[in-house]
Amino acid sequence: MTPDSIPAASPSLARLIQELNKLPGIGPKSAQRLAYYLIRLPNEEALALADAISAVKSNILFCHQCQNLTDSSPCGICAEPQRNQEQICIVEDPMDVLALERTRAFRGLYHVLHGVISPLNGVGPDQLKLKELFSRLTQGEVKELIIATNPTLEGEATAMYIRRHLAGQELKITHLARGLPVGGSLEYTDDLTLSRAFQGRQEL
Amino acid sequence: MAPPRSYHCEALILKHAPFGEADLLVTFFTRERGKVRAVARGARRSNSKLVGHLEPLTQVSLSLAQGRGGLDHVSQAQLMESFAPLKDDLEAITKGFYLAELVDGFGSEAHQNQPLYNLALATLDAIGQDPESELPLRFFELRLLKVSGLMPELYRCVECRSELVPESHRFSPDVGGALCLDCRPADAHVRPLSLRALKVLRLLDRSHPTEIPSIQMDVPLAQEIKSLLKMSIEYWLDKQIQSNSFMEQLHREQKPGVYS
Repeated sequence: MTPDSIPAASPSLARLIQELNKLPGIGPKSAQRLAYYLIRLPNEEALALADAISAVKSNILFCHQCQNLTDSSPCGICAEPQRNQEQICIVEDPMDVLALERTRAFRGLYHVLHGVISPLNGVGPDQLKLKELFSRLTQGEVKELIIATNPTLEGEATAMYIRRHLAGQELKITHLARGLPVGGSLEYTDDLTLSRAFQGRQEL
Repeated sequence: MAPPRSYHCEALILKHAPFGEADLLVTFFTRERGKVRAVARGARRSNSKLVGHLEPLTQVSLSLAQGRGGLDHVSQAQLMESFAPLKDDLEAITKGFYLAELVDGFGSEAHQNQPLYNLALATLDAIGQDPESELPLRFFELRLLKVSGLMPELYRCVECRSELVPESHRFSPDVGGALCLDCRPADAHVRPLSLRALKVLRLLDRSHPTEIPSIQMDVPLAQEIKSLLKMSIEYWLDKQIQSNSFMEQLHREQKPGVYS
């Protein structure tokens, strides 16, 4: 049954299914299952979800420094005085900030690009938060830029574009090491990753 | 006897997109079956055996299983050629994306086109060897039209069929190629075609299918060839080429170079 074939007797249910169907990865069947699940939820739980969606849409904004999603600008990370103000780690998405924060290995600041250069999808540098990054760097406090885009072709192209744009500036530009994942296997590792793992080998 | 549910093939990876929780939807251009779209389950997890083997602009050996919903599944992928020199240069990567978009646009699903497969691989190799040169892409564009059965006529006027004499002519993808100065087809988008450009196009047409000839072109001639081929490609694709805008932006940001 598609959202269009919902009986007219329940237009509000049809509308909910239609809206859920717009979410990424949610097909018509999943949308129906979710809608019926929401109907069976106790009132307060369903309304809490609606309230959370409404709050996030009205409160969330971009941090004026790092461009991460936040309730107040500057965000919690940018406002922390103990953070190393001289290092900026560039990531693709807000979820990457969460992943890096979980490691507790980095105590500097971030800059979220909200995507990568993807010529096949018509995404160029102007569609990313690169202008904001370059203007942030003119303030002169930053000494090191750590590029942490994903090691995909599009992530690498974005890293190369940033490096090229900043060529000649007195700024240390690094990127995260490339190599073998923990729990991985040499047998299944591709040639490019293996050769980069060799290049980045470390003395024990 | 039922046909086998799994098959092996050799492919160039054109693009991929996230699919579901940790899967990838990959578009391949295979040597044996033309364009194939398949799901690689769990390929976005860092410890997947498929990770690194499914990056765009990579030649791979594949094992695929036929899926029920029309999408096949990648069961194994082994890297054959990573085109590593191409991936070390931003200009070259951009050209590679442009090539992938054209192969995706002109390649048909379940329709073998081995000349196009060989052409794409040879062009990626040439781009990696000389990332600055525009010639591999011009060669690719013309040969792409040829192996797709859309080669513009370069030797006779497409209207009156008279042999083209060595002088300036006109060109229109709408009517299928070069026109003599006497013919003016109605409703066709016509543009001038210099004798020099006609000679270069003929040279590209007559060259070896996968060996790019050595041609020195000044900037106006290179621009003319580029614009003629772009016009033909976009006419047949019936849409603008997305990756072109980033390639043009990189050009603008760089100092003007010499075409060769």
